[in-house]
This record gives sequence, structure tokens and C-alpha cells, in this order.
Amino acid sequence: MAEATHHTNVDRGPVAGPRVHPLSVVTLAFVFLFLLIVVTLLVTDLLYIQRTPMPKKVAWGAILAAVKLSAITSACTLVLVVVFAIPMGYALSRYRFRGIVVVDTLVDLPIVLPPLVIGVSLLVFFSTSLGQWIESTGLKFVYTVPGIVLCQFLVSASYGVRAATAAFDGVDRRLEQLALTLGCTPWQAFTRVALPVARNGIVAGAIMAWARAVGIFGPLMIFCGSVRYKTEVMPTSIYLELSIGNVEVALAVALVMVGLAAVALVAIHALAPGQRWWAR
Amino acid sequence: MIRIEGLEFSVGGFHLGPLHLEVAAGDYFVLLGPTGMGKTLLLESICGLLRPQQGRIIVEGEDVTALPPRDRGIGYVPQHQGLFPHLTVRRNIEFPLRVRRVEAAERRKRLEPLIELLGLGELLDRWPMSLSGGERQKVALARALASQPRVLLLDEPVSALDEPSRERLCSELRRIHEELRVTAIHVSHILEEAFSVADRAGVLHQGRLVQHGPIDELLRRPATEFVARFFRTENIIPATATPADDGSTTLAFDGHTVHVPGHYRGDVTFVVRPEAVRIHAPGSTVPNGVPAVLRRVTDRGPYRRVEFDAGRQLVAYVGRTAAESAGCVGESRVVAFPPEAIHVLPQPPDA
Repeated sequence: MAEATHHTNVDRGPVAGPRVHPLSVVTLAFVFLFLLIVVTLLVTDLLYIQRTPMPKKVAWGAILAAVKLSAITSACTLVLVVVFAIPMGYALSRYRFRGIVVVDTLVDLPIVLPPLVIGVSLLVFFSTSLGQWIESTGLKFVYTVPGIVLCQFLVSASYGVRAATAAFDGVDRRLEQLALTLGCTPWQAFTRVALPVARNGIVAGAIMAWARAVGIFGPLMIFCGSVRYKTEVMPTSIYLELSIGNVEVALAVALVMVGLAAVALVAIHALAPGQRWWAR
Repeated sequence: MIRIEGLEFSVGGFHLGPLHLEVAAGDYFVLLGPTGMGKTLLLESICGLLRPQQGRIIVEGEDVTALPPRDRGIGYVPQHQGLFPHLTVRRNIEFPLRVRRVEAAERRKRLEPLIELLGLGELLDRWPMSLSGGERQKVALARALASQPRVLLLDEPVSALDEPSRERLCSELRRIHEELRVTAIHVSHILEEAFSVADRAGVLHQGRLVQHGPIDELLRRPATEFVARFFRTENIIPATATPADDGSTTLAFDGHTVHVPGHYRGDVTFVVRPEAVRIHAPGSTVPNGVPAVLRRVTDRGPYRRVEFDAGRQLVAYVGRTAAESAGCVGESRVVAFPPEAIHVLPQPPDA
């Protein structure tokens, strides 16, 4: 790393000047204000759960099943997202074709769309004759576990694709071309050069997509319902427990999710684009 | 051996060719030309990254024009070097052998002499990020040579380096070439670089190869004004030629006359290398002497550029030590062109 440091820009801050400038005071003040809000919320959660005794009758079995189902479905979604994001990201980064703006916009749509809309759309789709036919083949989605995966995938895939596109954008095309002269087929140039160089960005995007997938709730309520031991995932548990007045239990599940989110964030930061792991 | 036959392509508004070129086996050929003349595009079409619209590329008797880059047996070192950032130096060099599934033992056997020849032993476990420009260039060279290509293409391999590293790498290139004797095409826009490595050279102008041959020949006997200018021949003089009976020709320009061996007639252009121009005391009667007034002396470090006015500008390069005797600004001198230093540019056939 020592030898590599002189290649990276030295961070000199926005402007030269006295050590404490109103500019840094004001901008940092906003950082601290925001931090204060987040930390306060977390601390309140923790204190609440510590102070209040757990209710006697808690369906821990159902909650455990929900945690398990969350893990399984989000893992499936993660695999699906990666399977789609790698080829899609590569194509969107490398090929310029007519209508790419439209394609780009549609790929990004689920990022800005309220997740609830995806749930409604799915429900409507599976009431059409095509949707009915798919269900009749035995591949059932409405109110089932595959339905959960489908919802999670649709809500989160765009994040993975976007990240993969950006990662491939960061890979110099000339490296792949050069790989061709060094004996690679176009496939080998992709697997041996483009993919490994883009790896970190793709992994960071996949984690981001996974975190989204674990957290969705709205479309699940519409498309999969909230049936204990069947389609109950962690966000559903929070909702169900709250609805029967078990705030402490809901909070406990919520804190598990906060923990997961924190782990995901740390992982994304460790792999953040721009930080070159190979130079470490 | 590599032969390029009638290669032609257009990219945007740029057109290259038709281009003919043959580089003999084991030769080191430098392709010269100002930047933006399509030199990189030419190399990319030779190694198969660009498809030419016309023409053929023949490597050791085999027509490779339709082959994919990996089957051409051509090693390419691009200007940007293109080291793979996710691989160590060792892995970078091994890359062409690994993708061809060469066994580890065989890889070692093939690469060890190369690594030693290029002096890369110390760098093998480093990452490309941590290398200097010259080191990177050598790693890229080793990688291109790893699969024992039939032809090596080098795109401006030293132009991004500082002066001392450039000279060092040039002499290394020369040494490596003498050792391996791989047919090489090296593209450059820097004259000194070309002289330090080339067996033969060619000049690219407006998408065509205007002259090629031994590099010394290009310097002394340029085929066109462009080549003369590219080789920094500053005295490019239009004249009227009148052949004499004794086999020589009188060249008249701006009220002066000089004599050269050979037979020329009509409007011609002749060139004289500035370092061949001699300066004599005013009134001297020397062959091909032209009275002139010294106008300007520019210090170029190792030599001085002395500018004279003789109805037109004449330039002489004088060594530092001889510069004192060249004279002061405003003084009269006789500027002489030794007959053997005068080169009359070939006349276009229709002239």
C-alpha cells in the first residue's frame, strides 16, 4: 500500500484556509444532527426493550419460522439478482443500441416505484388468463413462498443491475480488447478480465439488493398475505406482532433487522467502488 | 515476417491506406508519424481488433486477415499498457499461457528466461498499481512476448516516460530485440526514439506510407518534403535545375547557384541537413558558398541553431564549441553546402 499511496489523490478538503472555518462547522453540524436522530431512535428502541418485560404468550416458533423464511427467500432472491445483474449490467454498459434510454429507464423504474405498486401489479397480472395459465402449470405464486421471492426480486433487482452496470462501466474496454490479443475468446475476456475487475461493484450491489429484499413488506401483504408459518417473513412478523399489541416482540425482530442492515452496510463500505482492494 | 497488402479503412472522417508494408523476419521496424495519423488504428487492425475494409495481412506466409486476434500469433503492447489491475505482475505475465491452458511446469520453463531477460524477477509479486511507468511497460512487454508471438507490435512504448527512463527503455528494447529477434513494429512520433531502436523505419502521412527504408536513408534522402520536415531538415529550398554536360546540375535559387552531381531539370526542391551546413568567413571562395547575414542564434543545449538570411532563411546546426566562431548577429558569412550533403527531392512523375 505504501508504494501505491502516491497514485491516489491526497484529500485536501474543499478549500485551503484556517483549520476551523464556518464552512466546515455548518456542514459538519448537519452530519451530527442527522446522526443524532438515528442514534436516538436506536437507543430508544434498545431502552424500551430492556425496560419492558416480554409478554408471556409469544409465538416464538412462528417468529423463528419467519426469520428462517426471510433468510431462505432473500438468499434465493440474491442468487436471482446476481444471475440477472451480471449479464444485464454488462450489456447495458457495453452495448449502445436504439432505445437504450427507454430500456435504462424501465430497468430503473422499480427503484423509484413504491413497492406496493409492484404487489398490486403482480396480483392483477396473476388474475389475467396468462397469469392463470402459469398458476395452472403448478408453478404457484399467489400467496406462496415463490411469490415472496418474486416480490423481493422485482423490488430489488434494479439495485443489483444498476450497480453491476456502473461496475462494468468502470472496467476499461481496452483491457478486454487486449485480452483478445493475449489469447482469450470473447467469453474468456469476460470471465477472466471484465468480471473480476468489476467484482467488487457487483458484490456491493448484490448486498444492497439483498438488504432491500429482506426489508420489503407492502407487496408481500398484497400478493402473499401474512399467514403464520406459511408466508410470514420478518417484516410481516413486525406487523403481526404490532397488530396484536406485542410492541416488545415487534421491536426485538426490528432490532435483528437493524443488525442485519448494519452488517450489510459495513460489507458494502468495505467493497465500495473507488476503494481498490487489490492495492491494499 | 509480416506483409501488409493494400490495407485500407475509414473510421469517421479518417481514412487510412491503401497501405503496403513488409517487415522482414527479425527486423525492428519503426513507423513514424505525427500523432493523429492513424498509427494506433493501423496496429489495432494488424492484431485484429479492427476489421479493415480492404487489404490483407500476411504473417509468415499465412493470411491472418480473417482470423480472430488470439489466433494471429501477434503480440500487442498498447500505449496504455493495459496491465490487468486484479492480477499480480506474475499473473499478468502468465496470462497468455494460462488462458491457453499451458501446464504450470511448462509455463515456468517458458517464462523464466523472459523474466530474466527483462529483469522482472523482483517485481513478480507486486501489483500493477505500484509499478513505475517504465516497469509497467516492461511487464506489458513480457506479457506480450510470453506466448512467443511471430510479430510484436509496440504502440508508443516509451513516449509516456521521462527522458532518462525513455533512453534506458529504448536501449533495453534494442537489447531484448537482439536477443529474441522477434519481428517488431514499433509506432512512434519521436525521432530520437526511432533512431535508438530501429533497423528500418517508415513515415506515415495522410494515411499513406510515404517512405520506408533504413532509418539513415530516410534522414539523408527523404522522398518528400513532409519526410524532410519530419526529420527536422530545416533547409528545404525550391530551385530551378539546369543540367550541365559533365553530369552535374546547377541549382539556382534566390539569386544564388549551387552545383550537385546528377541530372535534374526544371523546378525542383532540394534539402540540406542543417548539421551539414558549413560556415566560412565573409568573402571566402568555397564550393557552393552562399553569402548570408547571421540573423539569430538559438541555444539548443548540445548544439546551437544558427539562422542566416540569404534572401531566404538558411539554418546551420553548430556544436557548442564551434559556435563561438560562427559569428555574431548582423555579421556577414559565407554559408556552404557540401555537394554530397545536398539531396534533390524526387520529382513527381507528372512534373
